[in-house]
Amino acid sequence: MRELHTIQLTVNGVRHERSVEPRLLLSDFLRQDLELTGTHVGCEHGVCGACTVLMNGEAVRSCLMFAVQADGAELTTVEGLADGAHGAAAATEGVAEEAPLHPLQAAFHEAHALQCGFCTPGVLLTLIPFLEENPDPDEPEIREALSGNLCRCTGYQSMVEAVRAVAEGADRGEGA
Amino acid sequence: MEIQSEFLFSGPRDELWVNLMDPAVLAKALPGTKLERVDEDRYVGEMEATVGPVTAARFDVAIELVDKVVPESFTMRVDGKGAAGFTKGTAHVQLAEQGPDETLMKYTADLQVGGRIAGVGQRLLDSVAKSMSHQGLEAINRHLQGEAPPEAAAPVQLLSRPVVLAIGIVVLAVLLVLLL
Amino acid sequence: MSAAFFGAPVPRNEDHRLLTGQALFVDDVQLEGMLHVAFLRSDYAHARITSLDVSAARESDGIVAVYTAADLGEYWQPGPLLVPPQPIERLEFHCATQVPLAKDKVRHVGEPIAAVVARSRYEAEDALPLIQVELDPLPAVADPVGALESDAPRIHEQFESNLAAHAIQEKGDYASIVEQAALVVRRRLLHDRGASAPMENRGVVASWDQKSGELTVWDTTQAPIPIRNGLASMLGLPEHQVRVIAPFIGGGFGPKIMMFYPEEVLLPWITMQLGQPVKWIEDRQESFFATTQERNQVHEAELAVDAEGRILGVRDSFVYDAGAYNPYGLTLPINTQCTLLGPYVVPNYYSEFRAAFTNKPIVSPVRGAGRQPGVFVMERLLDLAARELGIDVTEIRRRNFLPPDAFPHDHGIIYQDSASLVYDSGNYEPALDRATEMIDYARFLSETQPAARAEGRHVGIGIVSYVEGTGIGPYEGARVSVEPSGRVSLATGVGTQGQGHFTSFAQIVADQLGVEVTDVEVVTGDTGKFHWGTGTFASRGAVVAGNACHAAAVALREKILEQAAQELEAELADLELVAGTVRVKEAPGRSIAFGELAVLANPLRGAVRPGTEPGLEATAYFGPEKGSTASGVHAMIVEVDPETAMVDVQRYVVVHDCGRVINPTIVRGQIIGGVAHGIGNCFYEQLVFDENAQLQNASFMDYLIPTATDVPPVDTDHVVTPSPFNPLGIKGAGEAGAIPTNPLFAQAVENALQMPGLEILEMPISPNRLFELLEAARETG
Repeated sequence: MRELHTIQLTVNGVRHERSVEPRLLLSDFLRQDLELTGTHVGCEHGVCGACTVLMNGEAVRSCLMFAVQADGAELTTVEGLADGAHGAAAATEGVAEEAPLHPLQAAFHEAHALQCGFCTPGVLLTLIPFLEENPDPDEPEIREALSGNLCRCTGYQSMVEAVRAVAEGADRGEGA
Repeated sequence: MEIQSEFLFSGPRDELWVNLMDPAVLAKALPGTKLERVDEDRYVGEMEATVGPVTAARFDVAIELVDKVVPESFTMRVDGKGAAGFTKGTAHVQLAEQGPDETLMKYTADLQVGGRIAGVGQRLLDSVAKSMSHQGLEAINRHLQGEAPPEAAAPVQLLSRPVVLAIGIVVLAVLLVLLL
Repeated sequence: MSAAFFGAPVPRNEDHRLLTGQALFVDDVQLEGMLHVAFLRSDYAHARITSLDVSAARESDGIVAVYTAADLGEYWQPGPLLVPPQPIERLEFHCATQVPLAKDKVRHVGEPIAAVVARSRYEAEDALPLIQVELDPLPAVADPVGALESDAPRIHEQFESNLAAHAIQEKGDYASIVEQAALVVRRRLLHDRGASAPMENRGVVASWDQKSGELTVWDTTQAPIPIRNGLASMLGLPEHQVRVIAPFIGGGFGPKIMMFYPEEVLLPWITMQLGQPVKWIEDRQESFFATTQERNQVHEAELAVDAEGRILGVRDSFVYDAGAYNPYGLTLPINTQCTLLGPYVVPNYYSEFRAAFTNKPIVSPVRGAGRQPGVFVMERLLDLAARELGIDVTEIRRRNFLPPDAFPHDHGIIYQDSASLVYDSGNYEPALDRATEMIDYARFLSETQPAARAEGRHVGIGIVSYVEGTGIGPYEGARVSVEPSGRVSLATGVGTQGQGHFTSFAQIVADQLGVEVTDVEVVTGDTGKFHWGTGTFASRGAVVAGNACHAAAVALREKILEQAAQELEAELADLELVAGTVRVKEAPGRSIAFGELAVLANPLRGAVRPGTEPGLEATAYFGPEKGSTASGVHAMIVEVDPETAMVDVQRYVVVHDCGRVINPTIVRGQIIGGVAHGIGNCFYEQLVFDENAQLQNASFMDYLIPTATDVPPVDTDHVVTPSPFNPLGIKGAGEAGAIPTNPLFAQAVENALQMPGLEILEMPISPNRLFELLEAARETG
């Protein structure tokens, strides 16, 4: 039996304490140990960005980190976005009875910025700190911000449109 | 992949020859390598690529020397197999006396890398192989001059475990063929 | 019935779950006691297995079982031939399909040799190096042309050579007209391999319940029903005891269609051996070897035209790389053969292909499915002919388009659906007009390009056209029902990989039933919910399943009206369906809710009229007699740096005809995504194999799929010629964006550089390769 390390961390506002093998990847820890399967694993070598989560507010690739490296950290995964943890939640038409979405999620819905949706959690979590830092980005800046996330379905254009819509909504004082 | 290069040793050819045949010396040039001479012209051993505390991959290696012309030239066949793939290669090594204390090694190697390791790190292979084989030969050169070889270089910063491991393994595979 | 939703840009029903991390993908399935599988795969492209000893691995920590081919007993069988050879007269065909675990020989890198089952994937992978396998390497075959030489190493010993197929299709008499041609353009054109690279790799979870005798399989397949039927047959189980679920799938693009991949066949067997659920998730590196790939072809082609550039005929002979096994039979080369004809009048056509086995991963359709190489050949030859004759590239196309009165147009050669290649409808010139207008073709050539040239900048324009056979049979089905709650549910058999079926199918049904799109709950890809059909491929989901949904909704509407007419004591003609109720048009107060009708349709006591079917439910099927032919024109503006050979794609225009559009937002998304895939395929994505058939770039660090900065803004528009072959008039759209990008890119780059010696006759063309061509053209020019 390999040695285990006890780690404590907060994920989406919930504190967890677990014993893990040092080699356990953070992505596997989130998906298997915490059953937060919204974080997806697409390449296991840090290129595709599907596994992106927020660690202490910054976007990190959870497939390139060990769970033990997140000891003491505060994490946000896609499951933690809609509850208003990051900015005010926006109501969306047509998706009644469900938790209100984060403005960025709502904009993705409106702009058809997702197809299979596999890359989407990582894309959202890449864009959230980007938008906090740069609330009114132009198209080249948005494309640059997205360039570390691979998407095979959309051709990215609708993601760019969604981000612009959020920026314009924020200009008008809506949403976050 | 074919590689051609040369290296100038500061030492007499006969002594270099002896060193090149000594698994203990070779192991110093190749961090993570254990070699054993099973008979005059055959060596077996293992090489390990490690990153920090993690053993990445192990290669079982078998080396055979053929067409030996002491102390001028030899051909070496190397077979390495491990969980991440294999390497197979032939190297022709020629040693020419440049002076009483200088020997020029010319080598050509034909290297095949297969399996998972072949798919990763190819674009780095040439340049990394060149610089690392130079380091290895430099270590032998220092040994020839009676100096202790430097500590093995620190592992590459932990960027992405599989990536670093794969590159490490490929580099080891190249070294195996180039240096032995 | 007015169409409130058909044609409207409705946002998608499925988005909420995907956006909040609540959607279930195969890797998200976690079951009590679930074990994990890892595969030992071949490092060699071609080798004999001389010994295999798994005893040490069996002893390793956490290992539950290790299986080799020898352990499989009679379950060890080559996979099915998925597409039997089409009825082409002049045909030779040899079939060799993949096996679950290699027995005597391995035929490509990554072919599985043993399966390790452990408590965790980590432990399973720990045990792989403990397996002692001796592989005696054989010379490997990487090049499909070389594979057909008489002294090439033989990949399948049961055949006399590596020839997998040889077929000739012909119409008219090319040989007799070539003499009359004003110009014959002859070239050798190459198309290399690429990966489908969906963001989600493949995966399988299988769970056997001994007590109920039921097998449940979650599979990243585009075609769960054929997989269920096949597994039931292989495992000797009744079909209804096997449930295959394709939940949310993270992109398909072809290789997930139906393969009976080794892992897909083994995991269900393993769970039945162990009585515990098992999971295997492909990692990205595995996917470069273990998932099918496509597009390596070498064409020797010629185009004969008259002095005005009108096509007299085409002669094409090509070699097609089938990879190590060919379970898809002739599908891809036939698609190439047929799609090459494009939207043009081609009176004489001679097309011959040889399919070659090689020691490379298996080939099966990838978005476009053989069409790209065909379109590449035809469009490139037209460009070269236009250049020789001094005709504009748009003009030579215009002169050769099939006229609008030529439809349905029968080409008289056999298509992938085994029937004659018939174009249902089309109107090509308006699409060309629209595309030239959108990209401002005339002004680009007269003003923009000369102005840029004066500044020393090399900008170029391209414009090409193509057709795509879509929506082929055999059939799909759908069941629509209203529950006592009043909710409408729809189940269909096709799987969904992001195409928006949860919305587009709901739109079709909502229109018939007078409910909101969000009121229709759609289930796809679960054989427990619907078990008749084939799957999502060949741009057929919307066409075939969409029409089945329509037929089922129409039938249910009738049923609802009849039931309501009885209850409300009204005439059918006086009733209307509004917001989940049926009401009398003249007296809206007289109404009854769907839910109430559903309860009444399923009485617990009393008698019903003879012949009554219970429930507010209807099932219907749709099988088109022939597929529908979509078409389009793509245009592109590029800027090339002749020093570095970097190409910047600056604008992209698509005018597409996929018949009647269900949801323009979804279609636009499909098209733009396809264009991105196409741009990858022409400039970034190439699977590079060395002479030993070892893949050199098996990661996303070296195999580059386009990022947000590589894909230009794409403007789309539509021309609508409804298909007469299905009631909704739909044509498929899923693959369209990716099909004509290669020749478009080549044409635009040539146009930008204006070098007489520069001809781009190979795809993909990396910056490095383009640089070489530029150097060569400078030397000769």
